[in-house]
Amino acid sequence: MGRSGNIILFISFVITQIILSSLIDFGPLLFISVYPLFLLTRPANTSLNSLLLWAFAMGMVVDYFSNSIMGINSAAALVMTLFQFRILRMVSRKGDFDSQVRPGLRELGLIRFVSYLVASLLIHHIAISLAESFGMTNFIYNLPRMLISLFVNTLIIMLIEFGLFYKNWR
Amino acid sequence: MWGKSPVIKFLITLLLFLTLEVISISFISNESVFQQAKISGVVVKLRSVMDGFTSGVKYYFGLQDVNDMLVKENLRLLKENERLKTRLSPEASLSSNTSLSADYAYIPAKIIANSTNKMHNYIILNKGSSHGVKKDMGVISSVGVVGVVSAVSERYSYVISFLNINQSVSAKISTSGAFGPMVWEGRRSDYALLKEIPFHIDFMVGDTVVTSGFSTLFPPDIPLGTVRKSSVTKGSYHEIQVKLFQNFNSLHYVNIVVNNNKDELDFIQRESNGSVR
Repeated sequence: MGRSGNIILFISFVITQIILSSLIDFGPLLFISVYPLFLLTRPANTSLNSLLLWAFAMGMVVDYFSNSIMGINSAAALVMTLFQFRILRMVSRKGDFDSQVRPGLRELGLIRFVSYLVASLLIHHIAISLAESFGMTNFIYNLPRMLISLFVNTLIIMLIEFGLFYKNWR
Repeated sequence: MWGKSPVIKFLITLLLFLTLEVISISFISNESVFQQAKISGVVVKLRSVMDGFTSGVKYYFGLQDVNDMLVKENLRLLKENERLKTRLSPEASLSSNTSLSADYAYIPAKIIANSTNKMHNYIILNKGSSHGVKKDMGVISSVGVVGVVSAVSERYSYVISFLNINQSVSAKISTSGAFGPMVWEGRRSDYALLKEIPFHIDFMVGDTVVTSGFSTLFPPDIPLGTVRKSSVTKGSYHEIQVKLFQNFNSLHYVNIVVNNNKDELDFIQRESNGSVR
């Protein structure tokens, strides 16, 4: 996977995110974000600095095309990226990921991948919740929205990962 | 040299993270700067394309012409109603030299993009400055308040939806006339909260809530919803949950409110503020 491959994947994730989030609209208790999968499955030897730049770019583009305030998704994606390698190191076995391996479902196995995904998404969703209400005041009140979205997004991302990347990635 | 020492490497990463995060947060707090950019270029085109793409799912094509006709009809009736109201009002009949122009005019518009699944929802309309739309005009439908115009380009306008936790509308209970701000609480798209209704006011479940007309944005007496339940806050106020008539998911056509007296009212307000100081 070269640089052009990464950019094509980036654009596909942006398009998927925009179409899904405008098609699936069940009211304010559910927001859709599938773009974290792109950031979470960057090869394990990517440097954290370039990953932060990827996250910022992804968040900004998604924010620009979504019908909301600029900066919310990029702020959340940056926070998630800061923690994602730490979580990956926690769930994977030692020495597993020194190389260019993509930390996906096939490489990590179901349980490890799901725990990696849920932990990272939880950080991402908490950050979105804080950025949206610009502080802690509505945090408890927004808890149902966060948890429902976490559940649905995990499900959608698992389907995408299983359907598109699980078998064809060789 | 650089990046060899783990401490320096860590500091560089931290600095990069903080810089990008600060940029993001400054974007959040300066949203109004970017609204203009959002409707001037790619977004609206992309949205139109996508609207065409998704409308097969969301929208029944055959009804479009009928809807157009109904919108025009509705507008004509609104205008007539407004004119008749002015003629009926006692102030108008007192002074014979007052012209009988209506207080409000309406510009019909179609929604290009809308959402209900965020805390800060926005709507893009297909009418802009070339059609006479200006910043800070109200947007209504026949069954409620839709929002307030926040940025205008030549052909499109960007509207802060009522489904936005920073937005509020002045509303009153039609039976008693008690008024207060109505806000959206961010839980469900068909409920809102009417706040600061004094404790001694009597009302019943099912009473209609309408716009108060105390702001220059919206005409009075647009039906908004019905009283569902209430609770007492701070010992002296009712906080009333209102079931909205408006269904934001199936909203396609709206009217932009042009207040013909807005300049005059704003001028008076400025004058009085000046004299107080």
